[in-house]
Amino acid sequence: MCGINGIFAYHYAANPIDRNELEQTRDYMAARGPDGAGVWIADDGRVGFGHRRLSIIDLSGAAGQPMMSEDGSLVVTFNGEIYNYRELRNQLEARGRIFRTQSDTEILLQLYAEKGADMLGDLKGMFAFVIWDAKRKKLFLARDPYGIKPLYYANDGWTIRFASQVKALLAGGGVSREPEPAGWAGYYLLGSVPEPFTTYLQIRSLPAGHSMIVTELGPTVPKKYFSVAQTYAETESRLAKPSLIPTSKTTNESLGDALRQSVRRHLVADVPVGAFLSAGIDSTALVGLMREAGQADIQTVTLSFGEFVGGVDDEAPIANAVARHYQTHHTTRVVCEKEFRHDLPLIMDAMDQPTIDGLNTWFVSKAAREIGLKVAISGLGGDELFGGYPSFTSLPRWVNWLKAPASVPFLGKATRRALSSMDLPKFGINSKFSAAIEFGGSYAGAYLLRRGLFMPWELGQVMSHDMARDGLSRLAPLELIDAELHPRPRSSFAKVAALESSLYMRNQLLRDTDWASMAHGLEVRVPLVDSQLLADIAPWTVLGSAKPGKALLANCLKHPLPKAVTSRAKTGFKTPISRWLQNGVGRLRPYSDVPQLAAPHCAWSRRWAYSVASV
Amino acid sequence: MTPEKITQLQPRSDRALWISHSLALAMRRSFDVIFCGHLNTAPLACAIAHAQRKPLWLQVHGIEAWDETRITHRRSVAASHLITSVSRYTRKRLLGWSTIHPERVHVLPNAIPESVSSLRIPSTRLRQGANNDKKAILTVGRLNTAERYKGHDRIIAAMPKVLSKVPGTTYRIIGEGDDRARLMTLAQNIGVHESIEFVGHVPQHELQNHYARAHVFAMPSTGEGFGIVFLEAAAAGLPVIGGNLDGSVDALAEGRIGRLINPNNQGDLVAALVDALTDMQPKPSPDLNRFAFANFARHVDGLLLKFSTNTAR
Repeated sequence: MCGINGIFAYHYAANPIDRNELEQTRDYMAARGPDGAGVWIADDGRVGFGHRRLSIIDLSGAAGQPMMSEDGSLVVTFNGEIYNYRELRNQLEARGRIFRTQSDTEILLQLYAEKGADMLGDLKGMFAFVIWDAKRKKLFLARDPYGIKPLYYANDGWTIRFASQVKALLAGGGVSREPEPAGWAGYYLLGSVPEPFTTYLQIRSLPAGHSMIVTELGPTVPKKYFSVAQTYAETESRLAKPSLIPTSKTTNESLGDALRQSVRRHLVADVPVGAFLSAGIDSTALVGLMREAGQADIQTVTLSFGEFVGGVDDEAPIANAVARHYQTHHTTRVVCEKEFRHDLPLIMDAMDQPTIDGLNTWFVSKAAREIGLKVAISGLGGDELFGGYPSFTSLPRWVNWLKAPASVPFLGKATRRALSSMDLPKFGINSKFSAAIEFGGSYAGAYLLRRGLFMPWELGQVMSHDMARDGLSRLAPLELIDAELHPRPRSSFAKVAALESSLYMRNQLLRDTDWASMAHGLEVRVPLVDSQLLADIAPWTVLGSAKPGKALLANCLKHPLPKAVTSRAKTGFKTPISRWLQNGVGRLRPYSDVPQLAAPHCAWSRRWAYSVASV
Repeated sequence: MTPEKITQLQPRSDRALWISHSLALAMRRSFDVIFCGHLNTAPLACAIAHAQRKPLWLQVHGIEAWDETRITHRRSVAASHLITSVSRYTRKRLLGWSTIHPERVHVLPNAIPESVSSLRIPSTRLRQGANNDKKAILTVGRLNTAERYKGHDRIIAAMPKVLSKVPGTTYRIIGEGDDRARLMTLAQNIGVHESIEFVGHVPQHELQNHYARAHVFAMPSTGEGFGIVFLEAAAAGLPVIGGNLDGSVDALAEGRIGRLINPNNQGDLVAALVDALTDMQPKPSPDLNRFAFANFARHVDGLLLKFSTNTAR
């Protein structure tokens, strides 16, 4: 887990790259890689890479980056972990390849030399890497299937620059700061900036599960090699053959095996791997699975809030019980409002792109680093994999109910216009209700209703009307959401899972986890966000033979979870942060500037979104 | 003369005739790629490409592509398989209003002939016919009201300050157009008309003489798609001054071929002009070679190959 960057002056008219810019961008990411820094520039001065290192596998200097192949024809800069690197190494060595290090980075060089872009199908892990292929004079950029690790690029038509952070690209000084209306519109609509957009016109995110090639002619359109929807659609096609339908008898055993394998993969490291522990099923089950996967010594950390101590919202007592149950070395870290206020400027500085979340991850990562952890396991992704969100039941229901009225021409718009003129929030009704017919008849529209922070017609409250219009036109939100359903899975479970995994989880949860943990030099691993695990588990979740839900996860454990965990109603992770934010947002823009946000019924997340956007 | 393998059809003065002729031709003959050389004709090219189910390659230049104008243009741009833009600035402006994937929009700068790009400034360049005691600023460009962005008026406005630092300087304007009267009046009003020479139109083959007689080429424009004239002036050995707000940045290679200034800042302009006028030794510009025609041709070959491979049906 590191920070990577590079510059390639691909066009014949471009000036050679600037070493200072390369190093400035790299060193902006110092927190991502406190253990070392490297830079490489080609002899002709047309291409260069930077790297900040957080050493997890092969701690020796030999594994430093950017790393060059023995013959000098390939150079890689890599952020992430390849969990199956030992198997890949064995296979490559069996074919006569000789390795110089024990690192997973070298695997990328050797595998690329053998297979080129086809290598991506062999990798299990979280990664963003870029390889310079000197013989072919081309750059190969790739990002992991789920987009756990970020990779941004800015192509001005002569030169392409890339980095793990948007702000790092800007710090180099060679990238335009002109705003991207689509990025801002997407942020206000969904609470996070949907890829491939960022809030800057010139900077884009290489989409998850995509690769891209840059030659002397410039970059090609990113090429998709994985999508959640495709995995589900392929699973459904396969299950159409009755002989391949798994029986319910084997459910727990098979799911357990798949989960243990994924967890085992995620434990590969040359430093201790700890875990975030809350009172929920995801994180508690993962600690159990870590134990079952053979980890003897586990350090766990739980976040607790001063205001909640002794109350029903305090997760610490259940987490303590789980820690005792699985005999972990446990730490409960209490956060209070004073610390939150102290950290707020640091949080805003570390936040790479505007987002309404990530504060919890900031504090739990900070706590993990305080106890000396470099790597922590997180239960992120359990809701998307097992259908834990209410959207898994509400979205199919809405679409069924609203499909017919939504098909009546103009009815949706007319209803929305009529209802929105009535100021519904004043009567305690969510303003989204007015657009139920307009949007609720399709999965994309229903998803926008479910996850929407502001609705499209409300963007003028927080942006200029021109920017809102341009932003919506460029973003095309319904098309953007619907694109995550191609190829279209048949089952409603798969449709919702594909949307939640490819939008909310990718653009919000994973991105927030990246910046909030990397700011503390902590690597967070997410065993429930794994393409192999998805393929292994999808047959059970899409089939409906096993009722989707977290019980599937809890029942897989050989050493069951304490009753206090499984019988606890799903509450989500509660924090007093909204209350703290209402007490003031420091030097951020006050929401009271906007009448609609100052209204007493306004959701705090809308106010927070507005304040965050001022940074 | 028409290059080999190129058929040039007769021009049509009437727009409707030209469109119908183009459509008729497209119905009679099949093409592999439809290339369109200007955004204004893109809707027609797009229709032909659509009808023939062939890919469309669109070239965009300057201000015509900077702001969204018509919905037909937006659709044509979105339907293009490849767009080449003369500069990064034009590319950026186009991407600001169109929804085409940015990786489909490449930059294809103007090129200068090999003979010009390899031109070395003679060390004994004595500015034939130029009186070294009387310095001259040169601008070559149309004087059209629609192209006031070129910045002749900015230089005229800066002349009093330039003259106070470098007395006897002349500002020579080559080019003709309907804005000439306004510029002359401006010069009168400011009181610098005697230092300004409106040369009028000059044929291409005579331009070299004018470059040789000048001491600096300046065009503080805010509306250049690229500005090939900067390269011609630089190739003639003149120090060059251009604006940093448009495609001039590319022509001046971010300052390696000439000096970039904020055209709206008179102080910057005066300083750059005075520096150039008081520096007796013009600086050769090896960076000019990047815009040689050979590089352009190789890039076009590469784009065409990639384009035809990727869009093969």
